[in-house]
Amino acid sequence: MTTLARTRRVASGLSGYLGLVALILIILALVATGVLSQRRWEPFGDIRVWRFVLEGLLVTLQIGAVALVASLILAVPLALGRLALPRSVRWIVVAWIELVRATPVLALILILTLFVPRDLVSPVWSATIALTIYTSAVLAEILRAGILAIPRGEVDAARSLALTYAQTMRLIVLPQAFSRMMPALVSQLITLVKDTSLASIAAVSELAGYARSIHSFYGNPAETYFVIACIYFTINYTLSRIGRRLELQRAKEPPVTLPAEVEAANPQLPV
Amino acid sequence: MFGRITLDNFEYFVQGYLTTIALSVGAMAVALVIGAVVASLRVWGGRVPSSLGVFYVEFFRNTPLLIQLFFFAVVLAPRNLGITAEPFVVALIGLSLYTGAFATEAIRSGILAIDPGQVEAARSLGLSQLATIRLVVLPQALRTVVPPLGNVASALIRNSSVASAIGTRELLFMGLLVANRTFSLEPLVGVLLGYWSLTLTLSVVLSRLERRLAFAR
Repeated sequence: MTTLARTRRVASGLSGYLGLVALILIILALVATGVLSQRRWEPFGDIRVWRFVLEGLLVTLQIGAVALVASLILAVPLALGRLALPRSVRWIVVAWIELVRATPVLALILILTLFVPRDLVSPVWSATIALTIYTSAVLAEILRAGILAIPRGEVDAARSLALTYAQTMRLIVLPQAFSRMMPALVSQLITLVKDTSLASIAAVSELAGYARSIHSFYGNPAETYFVIACIYFTINYTLSRIGRRLELQRAKEPPVTLPAEVEAANPQLPV
Repeated sequence: MFGRITLDNFEYFVQGYLTTIALSVGAMAVALVIGAVVASLRVWGGRVPSSLGVFYVEFFRNTPLLIQLFFFAVVLAPRNLGITAEPFVVALIGLSLYTGAFATEAIRSGILAIDPGQVEAARSLGLSQLATIRLVVLPQALRTVVPPLGNVASALIRNSSVASAIGTRELLFMGLLVANRTFSLEPLVGVLLGYWSLTLTLSVVLSRLERRLAFAR
């Protein structure tokens, strides 16, 4: 790649951040000229307010990270169940996935936080479970698409080489399916980060809930929500840049190499 | 008997259901217009309109809808811009702008999917500009755009539930109202059935439409 082309690509990647910086500079200029009330922006010059915001951000990231890991684990049996279970029981998995995907996330969060007893499960965990239920159903569909995109011949070849079904899945199919689903996974992660804000409606104090505390103390709701939106934007835009890079990498990927375990099991494999 | 509470408060559910439909249909219509305009700016516009389009899409796509709705509710309120304090209108504006960002991306990918060589070929065969658009460009663009726009519409129906947070009396809001009054989980089951009926109907209609469009290939 020429230097110019690279510079151009980096510049286009930074343009979102630059737009954000420009927006903030415009606001600062408006504050300086007295068009916007300086008093309402003043709290954000205070380090203690930022320490408070950081506290909320950590709760948001915790909910997001736990829900992501749990959904990834749950998505595998859901996807395999939909693909491989006998027809008589498969419809249960299909119905579960389709109904969960057709449900508003906010309704799921409210149902769990309102009706799971608080002394049994705290609202933060109820909200995390609700987000996990939703995200795992979506990821199961993404994973299923990834599995279906793998040529049938690879599975047949693996089974002919005497690999069991579990080995075929673990060594041949799932690694490729996961690498195929990476871009879609990242965009679902962005949705998940945005959806954590819904937990604030169920009285969970994460970033959006902390925003409410800040503006009810300082009386500056519009300014506070703008600043909080910028924080979400920075996280999610960074994620979307990573997702785009992964997509580009996939386009020029080296040919698949066999896992060492398969190589070891079949030393004289003629290639 | 299960279902009793839902039936006793049926008018609340009907009102909420209709509000959800009105909100979704209205926001989708506005979002399609926004999407068509911004996607055109991004594909054919100059450098400045195009980068403004990028910034609009990225900003609205990457921030939570809830925060956007709270922001608009405050900014549009009488003591600020003084445009409206009506939750339904605020929700309609917020949902349209949020969904418009996703519609833009769907429509843009549809425009980019058509090989410019096809337009040149159609023109060389003597088709008029209008005939080229009507017979060559539109059928193909529509086919590539329908599935992603269908997903956008389905997400919109589910996202419209977030409007309950700013006091729009849509399906989830009404369900919570009845649930609070009766201390029961049952109204929320009714709410879920309502949303499922909408999203599942939409997905059936869309898959029919896709099949028909695929046939025209």
